[in-house]
Formats: sequence, structure tokens, C-alpha cells
Amino acid sequence: MVKRIGVTLLVLALFLISSVPVFSGGEKEVDTSVPDEVEVNLWSGNAPPDGLDRYRALNLVDAAESVMEQRAAAGEEITINVNPVSDPAGWTDFKRRFNLAAEAGEAPDIVACGHTDVALWGNLGYIVPIADSKEEVKAMYPQFDDVVDGLWDAVTWRDQIWAVPQDTEARPMYYNKELLSEAGWSDAEIEELPDRIKNGDFTLDDLIETAQDAIEKGVVEPGYGYWHRPSSGGDFIQYYKAYGGEIYDPVEDKLVIVEEALFNFFDFHRRIVTAGITPKNFIGTSWDIWHDTVINGGVLFFNAGTWSWGGWSTNQAEGGEAEMFERFGYALQPSGIPGNPGHTLSHPIVYFVTSPKASDNNYQDLWIELVANMTETDLNTRHALLSAHLAILESQLDDPDYKSAEFLSDVSYMSNYNYYAPQHPQYGQWFDALFQGMVSVQQGEVSAEDGTQETINRLKMEIGDQLIVR
Amino acid sequence: MRKAKKNNVVSTQETLSLTRIRPKITWFWFLLPSSIIMVVFFFIPVILTLLISGTNMSTTTGLTGYQWVGFANYKNLLNYPDTFRKLWLTIRYVFLTLVLFNIGLALLISLITTHIPKKAGAFFRAIWLLPRITPVVIYTFMWQILAAAPPHGIINTLIFEPLGLSTTNLIPQYPFFFIVVVNGFIGTSFGMIIFTSAIESIRKDIMVSSLVDGASTLQRIRYIILPQLRWPLLFATTYQTLSLLTSYEQILVLTGGNFGTEVWALWAFNLALNNYYGNFQYGIGSTIATMLVLIGLILSTVYMRFFKFDELVQEPKIDVL
Repeated sequence: MVKRIGVTLLVLALFLISSVPVFSGGEKEVDTSVPDEVEVNLWSGNAPPDGLDRYRALNLVDAAESVMEQRAAAGEEITINVNPVSDPAGWTDFKRRFNLAAEAGEAPDIVACGHTDVALWGNLGYIVPIADSKEEVKAMYPQFDDVVDGLWDAVTWRDQIWAVPQDTEARPMYYNKELLSEAGWSDAEIEELPDRIKNGDFTLDDLIETAQDAIEKGVVEPGYGYWHRPSSGGDFIQYYKAYGGEIYDPVEDKLVIVEEALFNFFDFHRRIVTAGITPKNFIGTSWDIWHDTVINGGVLFFNAGTWSWGGWSTNQAEGGEAEMFERFGYALQPSGIPGNPGHTLSHPIVYFVTSPKASDNNYQDLWIELVANMTETDLNTRHALLSAHLAILESQLDDPDYKSAEFLSDVSYMSNYNYYAPQHPQYGQWFDALFQGMVSVQQGEVSAEDGTQETINRLKMEIGDQLIVR
Repeated sequence: MRKAKKNNVVSTQETLSLTRIRPKITWFWFLLPSSIIMVVFFFIPVILTLLISGTNMSTTTGLTGYQWVGFANYKNLLNYPDTFRKLWLTIRYVFLTLVLFNIGLALLISLITTHIPKKAGAFFRAIWLLPRITPVVIYTFMWQILAAAPPHGIINTLIFEPLGLSTTNLIPQYPFFFIVVVNGFIGTSFGMIIFTSAIESIRKDIMVSSLVDGASTLQRIRYIILPQLRWPLLFATTYQTLSLLTSYEQILVLTGGNFGTEVWALWAFNLALNNYYGNFQYGIGSTIATMLVLIGLILSTVYMRFFKFDELVQEPKIDVL
């Protein structure tokens, strides 16, 4: 019996080992010529087909028509059949689906997903680099030359450009102007708040104090002083950064954790609970309830992306955007350190072109050409206006439609105070450890001190020599 | 004549040997389908999980670029900051759901509904089947709506507010209570069906004669019914323990593992397949899954000892014809 089990284990182990590529053999000549008729598949994650982000996928239809016209004008007939898929699954499910499809060689040709996947997918060979440098990518197509220069940094990994920006955003702190007024703030004080945050004159401590004061005055219900995002998401890095946290060391190409900033990040999230301005078990609140409550339920301060403004104007505020302007203001995320300017995380959605290994075809040049044709002023502005995302093209900033969008114009200055998550294959693990640690501290399972040490130990264990502790 | 007699002897021997073989063949064919299912859907996955737990397989390595790391994942599991917090949560969750609902309430409902008029008993048991036949997402969503803060929540709006009580979303407020109750209401029906059929299969003459002999209903339950439920109790306890240890879908839908409700099975799922940025860690996830299998095997063995499994499977000392 033992022998039989041993044989079975050996066979299974050999099966697994045999799946490891040992030698790839000599390189084959690759035929990259495109047939007269071709089908292109595009997946766009976290985007319901009828949602505000639908043009991330649907712009492919316009792009394919443009390419066919351009080719026809050059005397080359080609038929491009498009299959743009807006996938309503959340990011996690979408990425799981993509990973498995890529491993099976059944990935789509183009993927719209977060820029933080560059290192992860590049490392696994799921995607191809677009160019070897910023200069090279700008020279490829005039549309790429039009992309706001700093955005290429968000898709650069190991000196290569791995994706093309599709949109970007800021993650402001919103405030209820009516409640601030009821709490005794003058109109001038309310109007000055964004500038005070920008100049480091209103910090996270001031936020706690203001919210507590509003609760004591009976203007705001206990637990409704400050609502951050109710689920895992990139926003939480803003608090770590607010206390001087560093994420990545580009010289060493390693992730970084700063102990003091981590402690302050955790401590802040515990203090907002003990101060009574945020509910204890807040993480996990459903998004539907969250959106409805921050707009109609009397929350004083809350954090969300610019894209939420579009959703609130459409779905929550009965008076539409006009009511939103009347009742709410927006500012950068306050710093935790007096005198330090406010800031915001940007997490651009980008178009990836998948590798022959992942999508089982060699038409990557055509897919890049299609992406270039999706990177057009009118197409990007259409998406930006509908979904309240910021411009990615210099030409959009002069587009009359884009310029007439008051909210987008108001928040465009935030791009000067933004930063991106780094490109490192293990950033997701790094982020998860911080988020889990924060939740444990916020719920009072461990103290901020213990949570900090536990999180650092976990990071050391999971990330090992790819981590620098400061 | 002699020749014919010899042939008869051979024939008798052949018949005897066939008689011996036939039961063996029957045994084989009867077990084959379930054996295939067991091997394909249980044995091989367990072995694969065990093998993957010895690797650093993740989305960082891909499905083919992993390395063997021996017992490093098991060592790391001990060093995770919340390993034992989550284990303690898992133990409390499994024990309370099992004792209060999957066995306790199931047994209570079975006893009550077999002691009232048949139609009424069947009606009440049918009601208790509703949580099981309702799709998990809809069933859990109903709980979320029940418990939500006003104006969304039914309990808060229809009960707490009219009584002047403070209102809040009840799931974050009492997360452990809700994961036990939501799972327990589904689990109850399984034991209820098993126990009811076992009670109803107890011979009527024994049931009636105990009353004739002067036993009260409670005494009959204690001395006649419960001793005859050892088999179904062992089965339901073992099956439901394993089920509770490894299932997480209701918790995933109800709380997402938030509010301190991430039991080990859900933790394994989250680490292996549910990371926000898509960094799925298959190796450590498989390690937790392997540990759950091991815990399940140990508990099953304990249950078999407790319920005296050896005695239950002994050949009856007298045949009842």
C-alpha cells in the first residue's frame, strides 16, 4: 500500500516537474504577417458593459475603423473584426481570469487594466514591451507623442515601456460644505480648505479634530465624521505616504517599508475609530450603502476617486451635478505632517498588448497600432467626460468639451501633486500586508505598535530580500 | 460411471470457486464508480495540494516557474501574525455552528416534528429546507438586507426604530453571530433530514412498547431514540465538521472575510486566489488547505473513537429474520 502511494506521488511529482520549461530550444522564425481578415479581442476589467467606463472597450470599434481606413488609403485591404468585452467582474476576479487565460495561451490580444500589472505580467511574459524608451514610444505614433509625459513613468519597468495609458485620475478628499457651515465654518473658510490642504496647513489631525467638533455640536452623527474607502484598494497607500512613507527604492529595485510612517498610518486609522468619527467595523461596508450614505446620509469628510463624482451625479444626487457642486467640495488628501503639501495617488488604467505565449498569435504590431488609434483626443475625451477621469493627452487639455467640464478642470491641478504605485512584481503582497495590518489595528484586534511589528515581520517573511526596512 | 462421477466433482469444485469469486466481483463493480470519483475529485486534488504546498508557486513565479521550498510554507504559516487568531476563530465558528445548529437544532427539530402530527411535522421541516434550496448569493443577500442600517435594513427599520432603539448595520456590529447563524440555518436541514429518517425507521413496536411500559416521552427520547441515533450522529457530525472547516462561500458573500470573520478556509482562498492586486500565492494557500485536510482527518478519527465506530460496524450477534 505504502509502495503504491509512493509510486502515485512520484508520478504526480514527475507530472508537475515535467511542466517546468527546461530548455526552450532554438528560436524559431516567427511569421508576423497579418492575414486579410483578423479578429481582435479586448478585455476591459471592472467595467459593466453599460457602465460609465464602457468606452475603454468600445473605443476599439472606432480604432478598428480608423486602421482599416488608413490601410485602405495606403492600398492595403484588411478586415478587422472586433470583440470588445467590458467585464463587470471586480479587479481581483478579472485578474484571476486573465492569469489563467494567459497561462493557457487563451488571453485576449489587448487588456485594459491597472498600470501596477506591468511588473507582474511583464515578469511572467504575459505582455510585450511597447518600446525600449520614452523617446522611442513617442516616435512610434503621433498619438503616443501626445500622451502627458509623466504618464509614461507609470508604465515604465526596467527601462522599457510596457503599456499605453488609457485614463488617469486623482483620489480627492471630499467634504460636505453644508455640514461644515452648520458646524460654524464661514463660506470663506470652506472655500479656502483645498488651498490649506495643498499648503500643508490642514492635516489629518485637523480632519479628526474638525469631525469630532461637528459631532459634539450635534451637526454630524457619531461615526459619520470621516468615511474612507470601505474595502481594499490603492487609496490606503495615501495615509502611509501622508506620514512620509516610501514604497520603492529605484536604485536597489526593491520595495521599502518605513516603520515610523507605518505606525502613524495604523495609528491614524485606530484614532478615527476611538475618536468616534468612523465606525469600528467599517471595512466591509457595502459600496451601495457607502455611496448612498456619503451623498445623502450626512458624512462630513470622505475619500473617493474622481470617477465617483460621475456616478454620484448620475445615481445619488437627485439634483445631478449642480447639486453636487452646491453641497460638496474636494481637495487633495491632507498630509499627516504639518507643512507638507497634500497629495493624491493616481492609478492609471492602461492598455496592455499580450505576448504570443499568452494569446497564441503574432500580430502584436497590429494590436499596438489599434491601441494608438484608441489613444485619440475625441475618444479619450468622450471617456473622460462620461466617467470623470482626467485627461491623458496634452491635446485634451485644449479640447473645448474637456475644458468645459467644471469638475475635471477643478481637479486637474491635483496631477501636480500625484504619485504612482511602483512597478515591482511583489507590490501586491506588500500592499496586502499593509492593508490587513491596518484593518487589524482599526478593529482593535492589535495595538498600532504590535500591528506595525507584525506587518513588518510578515513583509520580511513574504517578500524576503526584496524588502528594505527603514 | 466413474468418469461421470469425476466430472461431477470437477463441476462442483468450479461452482464453489465461482461462488467465492462472484461476491468479490460484485464488490468491485459496486465500488468502482464511487472510487473513481474519490480518486479524481478527492485523492488527486489532495495530493496536488500537498505538492503545491511544498512550492513557492504564485503569480510572481507563474504556474511553471516555481521552486520547491520544502516545509518553508508550513514554517511561514506559523509566523503569520494572525494565524492563531484565525485558527481560534475557525474553531469557535465550527464548534458553535455544529453544536448549536447542524447537530443541536437539527436534532431538536427532528425530535419535535416526529412527535407532532405527521403533516404538521412535514410542513415545519419543509420550511427549514428553504435556506438550503435558496441559491447562496440570494440567501445571503437577504440576510444583508435584514441586517442593514436604516433605511435599507428591515430589522432596523421595522423593529429597532419604532422601539426607539439605536440603529446600525448589524452585521459589522455582530459579525460572528451572523456567520454562525447564516451558516447554521443552512446546515440544520442536513442533520434534520438524516435524524428524522433515522427516528422514523426505529421499529414501531419498540417505540410503542416503551410507552406501554410507562416511559415518558422524554424518557423514550433519552433511552430509546438517542441510543439508536449513534450512526447518523457520527455521520452528520463528521460530515458537517469537514464541511464547516472547508466551506467559506456564505462568509465570503456575507462579510467578504471582513470584521474579523476570515476563517482558515476563506483565508486560504484569499491568499491563493483573491488578492486585490492579483498577486495570488498558491503555495501558502495550499499549505493552509493541507492543514485543514489534516485537521479534518484527525477530528474524523476522534469522532469515530467517541462514537465507538468499531462497535457500530460489527456483525450483529444475532440475525433478525
